[in-house]
Amino acid sequence: MKIPSDIKYIRKVSTEIENFLKSKNVDKSEIFDIRLCVEEAVKNAIIHGNKNKKDLPVFISYSLEDGRFAIEIEDKGKGFDPGKVPDPTKEENLLTEGGRGVFIIRKMMDKVRYDNSSRGNKVFMVKFIGDKKGRH
Amino acid sequence: MQIKQEDKSGILVCYMTGEIDINTAPEVKKTFDKIVGAKKDKIVLNFKGVSYVDSSGLATLVEVLKGLRSYGGKLKLTNLSTKVKNLFEITKLEKLFDITSEEEEAIKAFS
Repeated sequence: MKIPSDIKYIRKVSTEIENFLKSKNVDKSEIFDIRLCVEEAVKNAIIHGNKNKKDLPVFISYSLEDGRFAIEIEDKGKGFDPGKVPDPTKEENLLTEGGRGVFIIRKMMDKVRYDNSSRGNKVFMVKFIGDKKGRH
Repeated sequence: MQIKQEDKSGILVCYMTGEIDINTAPEVKKTFDKIVGAKKDKIVLNFKGVSYVDSSGLATLVEVLKGLRSYGGKLKLTNLSTKVKNLFEITKLEKLFDITSEEEEAIKAFS
Protein backbone atom coordinates (compact mmCIF):
# COMPACT_ATOMS: atom_id res chain seq x y z
CA MET A 1 0.00 0.00 0.00
CA LYS A 2 1.23 3.51 -0.76
CA ILE A 3 -0.21 6.66 0.81
CA PRO A 4 0.66 10.36 0.59
CA SER A 5 2.05 12.05 3.69
CA ASP A 6 -1.25 13.30 5.01
CA ILE A 7 -2.53 12.28 8.44
CA LYS A 8 -6.02 11.72 7.07
CA TYR A 9 -4.68 8.52 5.41
CA ILE A 10 -3.61 6.95 8.72
CA ARG A 11 -7.08 5.55 9.37
CA LYS A 12 -7.29 4.23 5.81
CA VAL A 13 -4.18 2.12 6.42
CA SER A 14 -5.32 0.82 9.81
CA THR A 15 -8.83 0.06 8.53
CA GLU A 16 -7.44 -2.07 5.72
CA ILE A 17 -5.22 -3.95 8.18
CA GLU A 18 -8.05 -4.30 10.73
CA ASN A 19 -10.31 -5.79 8.06
CA PHE A 20 -7.56 -8.14 6.96
CA LEU A 21 -6.99 -9.33 10.55
CA LYS A 22 -10.73 -9.70 11.18
CA SER A 23 -11.00 -11.87 8.07
CA LYS A 24 -8.29 -14.09 9.60
CA ASN A 25 -10.27 -14.31 12.87
CA VAL A 26 -7.64 -12.48 14.91
CA ASP A 27 -8.73 -11.64 18.43
CA LYS A 28 -10.22 -8.13 19.00
CA SER A 29 -7.70 -7.29 21.70
CA GLU A 30 -4.78 -8.14 19.41
CA ILE A 31 -6.33 -6.12 16.58
CA PHE A 32 -6.54 -3.13 18.96
CA ASP A 33 -2.80 -3.41 19.76
CA ILE A 34 -1.80 -3.85 16.12
CA ARG A 35 -4.03 -0.98 14.97
CA LEU A 36 -2.50 1.29 17.60
CA CYS A 37 1.10 0.41 16.67
CA VAL A 38 0.40 0.70 12.94
CA GLU A 39 -1.20 4.13 13.39
CA GLU A 40 1.67 5.32 15.61
CA ALA A 41 4.28 4.14 13.10
CA VAL A 42 2.47 5.59 10.07
CA LYS A 43 1.96 8.85 11.96
CA ASN A 44 5.72 8.99 12.72
CA ALA A 45 6.53 8.29 9.07
CA ILE A 46 4.23 11.11 7.89
CA ILE A 47 5.07 13.72 10.51
CA HIS A 48 8.69 13.03 11.50
CA GLY A 49 9.93 11.11 8.45
CA ASN A 50 8.33 12.93 5.53
CA LYS A 51 7.71 16.19 7.46
CA ASN A 52 4.06 16.27 6.29
CA LYS A 53 5.14 16.80 2.66
CA LYS A 54 2.10 15.41 0.88
CA ASP A 55 4.02 14.54 -2.30
CA LEU A 56 6.32 12.18 -0.39
CA PRO A 57 4.93 8.66 -0.13
CA VAL A 58 4.76 6.23 2.77
CA PHE A 59 4.93 2.55 1.77
CA ILE A 60 3.26 -0.12 3.88
CA SER A 61 3.48 -3.88 3.40
CA TYR A 62 2.25 -6.53 5.80
CA SER A 63 1.59 -10.23 6.15
CA LEU A 64 0.18 -12.78 8.55
CA GLU A 65 1.70 -16.20 8.46
CA ASP A 66 1.68 -18.95 11.06
CA GLY A 67 0.55 -16.60 13.83
CA ARG A 68 3.19 -14.01 12.94
CA PHE A 69 1.95 -10.59 11.86
CA ALA A 70 4.73 -8.59 10.20
CA ILE A 71 4.59 -5.06 8.87
CA GLU A 72 7.09 -2.72 7.26
CA ILE A 73 6.53 1.02 7.00
CA GLU A 74 8.87 3.10 4.89
CA ASP A 75 9.22 6.84 4.54
CA LYS A 76 11.64 9.13 2.73
CA GLY A 77 13.04 10.74 5.85
CA LYS A 78 16.48 10.59 7.36
CA GLY A 79 15.37 8.32 10.16
CA PHE A 80 16.10 8.69 13.82
CA ASP A 81 17.78 6.97 16.71
CA PRO A 82 15.00 5.36 18.78
CA GLY A 83 17.47 5.14 21.65
CA LYS A 84 17.47 8.93 21.83
CA VAL A 85 13.73 9.25 22.33
CA PRO A 86 13.30 10.14 26.02
CA ASP A 87 11.50 7.52 28.11
CA PRO A 88 7.99 9.00 28.53
CA THR A 89 7.33 6.88 31.61
CA LYS A 90 10.05 8.57 33.67
CA GLU A 91 8.62 10.75 36.40
CA GLU A 92 10.10 13.93 34.90
CA ASN A 93 8.64 13.15 31.44
CA LEU A 94 5.10 12.15 32.45
CA LEU A 95 3.75 15.64 31.83
CA THR A 96 5.36 16.00 28.41
CA GLU A 97 3.04 15.70 25.46
CA GLY A 98 5.20 13.75 23.01
CA GLY A 99 7.37 10.64 22.77
CA ARG A 100 4.75 8.04 23.65
CA GLY A 101 4.22 6.61 20.15
CA VAL A 102 7.65 4.97 19.85
CA PHE A 103 7.38 3.72 23.44
CA ILE A 104 3.92 2.18 22.86
CA ILE A 105 5.20 0.37 19.75
CA ARG A 106 8.16 -1.04 21.68
CA LYS A 107 5.86 -2.25 24.48
CA MET A 108 3.12 -3.77 22.34
CA MET A 109 5.03 -5.34 19.48
CA ASP A 110 7.24 -8.41 19.90
CA LYS A 111 9.96 -7.25 17.52
CA VAL A 112 10.77 -3.73 16.30
CA ARG A 113 13.64 -2.76 14.04
CA TYR A 114 14.48 0.60 12.53
CA ASP A 115 16.61 0.77 9.38
CA ASN A 116 17.98 4.01 8.03
CA SER A 117 19.56 4.30 4.61
CA SER A 118 20.18 7.01 2.05
CA ARG A 119 16.86 6.06 0.41
CA GLY A 120 14.76 6.47 3.53
CA ASN A 121 13.76 5.14 6.88
CA LYS A 122 12.03 1.84 7.58
CA VAL A 123 10.38 0.42 10.64
CA PHE A 124 9.79 -3.30 10.74
CA MET A 125 7.45 -4.69 13.41
CA VAL A 126 6.32 -8.19 14.33
CA LYS A 127 3.57 -9.37 16.64
CA PHE A 128 2.94 -13.02 17.45
CA ILE A 129 -0.74 -13.70 17.82
CA GLY A 130 -3.16 -16.42 18.83
CA ASP A 131 -1.35 -19.45 20.26
CA LYS A 132 1.99 -18.01 19.08
CA LYS A 133 1.51 -15.09 21.49
CA GLY A 134 4.44 -14.25 23.72
CA ARG A 135 7.09 -15.70 21.36
CA HIS A 136 10.10 -13.47 20.88
CA MET B 1 -16.05 12.25 18.73
CA GLN B 2 -18.88 13.52 20.88
CA ILE B 3 -18.57 15.15 24.28
CA LYS B 4 -21.79 15.60 26.21
CA GLN B 5 -21.45 17.83 29.24
CA GLU B 6 -23.65 17.57 32.32
CA ASP B 7 -23.43 19.53 35.53
CA LYS B 8 -23.95 17.33 38.58
CA SER B 9 -24.04 19.55 41.66
CA GLY B 10 -21.04 21.63 40.64
CA ILE B 11 -19.14 18.74 39.12
CA LEU B 12 -18.83 18.81 35.35
CA VAL B 13 -19.27 15.30 33.96
CA CYS B 14 -18.19 14.89 30.34
CA TYR B 15 -19.48 11.84 28.51
CA MET B 16 -16.98 11.05 25.79
CA THR B 17 -18.11 8.96 22.83
CA GLY B 18 -15.91 7.80 19.97
CA GLU B 19 -12.17 7.62 19.46
CA ILE B 20 -9.54 10.04 20.75
CA ASP B 21 -6.81 9.98 18.14
CA ILE B 22 -4.77 12.29 15.95
CA ASN B 23 -7.87 13.19 13.91
CA THR B 24 -10.20 13.94 16.80
CA ALA B 25 -7.66 15.26 19.34
CA PRO B 26 -7.86 18.90 18.07
CA GLU B 27 -11.65 18.85 18.54
CA VAL B 28 -11.27 17.40 22.05
CA LYS B 29 -8.67 20.05 22.88
CA LYS B 30 -10.98 22.82 21.65
CA THR B 31 -13.80 21.62 23.92
CA PHE B 32 -11.53 21.43 26.94
CA ASP B 33 -9.87 24.76 26.22
CA LYS B 34 -13.33 26.28 26.78
CA ILE B 35 -13.79 24.31 30.00
CA VAL B 36 -10.34 25.35 31.24
CA GLY B 37 -11.08 28.93 30.10
CA ALA B 38 -14.23 28.89 32.25
CA LYS B 39 -12.06 27.64 35.15
CA LYS B 40 -14.24 24.64 35.89
CA ASP B 41 -12.50 22.98 38.79
CA LYS B 42 -14.14 19.58 39.25
CA ILE B 43 -14.23 17.53 36.08
CA VAL B 44 -15.11 13.89 35.54
CA LEU B 45 -14.42 12.36 32.14
CA ASN B 46 -16.62 9.34 31.59
CA PHE B 47 -14.87 7.11 29.03
CA LYS B 48 -17.68 4.57 28.74
CA GLY B 49 -18.16 5.41 25.06
CA VAL B 50 -14.46 5.64 24.20
CA SER B 51 -13.30 2.63 22.24
CA TYR B 52 -9.83 3.83 21.24
CA VAL B 53 -7.13 6.28 22.31
CA ASP B 54 -3.75 6.82 20.63
CA SER B 55 -0.64 8.73 21.73
CA SER B 56 -2.07 12.00 20.35
CA GLY B 57 -5.19 11.43 22.46
CA LEU B 58 -3.03 10.76 25.52
CA ALA B 59 -1.02 13.93 24.83
CA THR B 60 -4.25 15.95 24.61
CA LEU B 61 -5.46 14.56 27.93
CA VAL B 62 -2.10 15.48 29.50
CA GLU B 63 -2.55 19.02 28.14
CA VAL B 64 -6.06 19.20 29.62
CA LEU B 65 -4.73 18.05 32.98
CA LYS B 66 -1.95 20.65 32.91
CA GLY B 67 -4.47 23.36 32.03
CA LEU B 68 -6.73 22.38 34.93
CA ARG B 69 -3.84 22.12 37.37
CA SER B 70 -2.74 25.67 36.52
CA TYR B 71 -5.65 27.00 38.61
CA GLY B 72 -6.08 24.10 41.01
CA GLY B 73 -8.72 22.25 38.98
CA LYS B 74 -9.10 18.52 39.48
CA LEU B 75 -9.77 15.80 36.92
CA LYS B 76 -10.98 12.25 37.34
CA LEU B 77 -11.36 9.59 34.64
CA THR B 78 -13.91 6.81 34.92
CA ASN B 79 -15.31 3.82 33.04
CA LEU B 80 -12.22 3.12 30.94
CA SER B 81 -12.34 -0.02 28.82
CA THR B 82 -9.75 -2.69 29.63
CA LYS B 83 -7.73 -1.81 26.53
CA VAL B 84 -7.74 1.94 27.13
CA LYS B 85 -6.89 1.45 30.81
CA ASN B 86 -4.04 -0.83 29.76
CA LEU B 87 -2.65 2.03 27.67
CA PHE B 88 -2.64 4.32 30.71
CA GLU B 89 -0.85 1.58 32.65
CA ILE B 90 1.79 0.90 29.96
CA THR B 91 2.59 4.61 29.62
CA LYS B 92 2.49 5.07 33.41
CA LEU B 93 -0.08 7.83 32.98
CA GLU B 94 -2.16 6.05 35.61
CA LYS B 95 0.26 7.74 38.06
CA LEU B 96 -0.71 11.15 36.74
CA PHE B 97 -4.46 10.67 36.31
CA ASP B 98 -6.95 9.80 38.97
CA ILE B 99 -8.75 6.78 37.49
CA THR B 100 -11.82 5.17 39.05
CA SER B 101 -13.92 2.38 37.67
CA GLU B 102 -17.34 3.99 38.17
CA GLU B 103 -18.62 7.54 37.74
CA GLU B 104 -20.40 7.51 41.13
CA GLU B 105 -17.09 6.78 42.80
CA ALA B 106 -15.45 9.81 41.14
CA ILE B 107 -18.36 12.10 42.03
CA LYS B 108 -18.37 10.86 45.61
CA ALA B 109 -14.64 11.56 45.91
CA PHE B 110 -15.29 15.17 44.84
CA SER B 111 -18.14 15.75 47.27
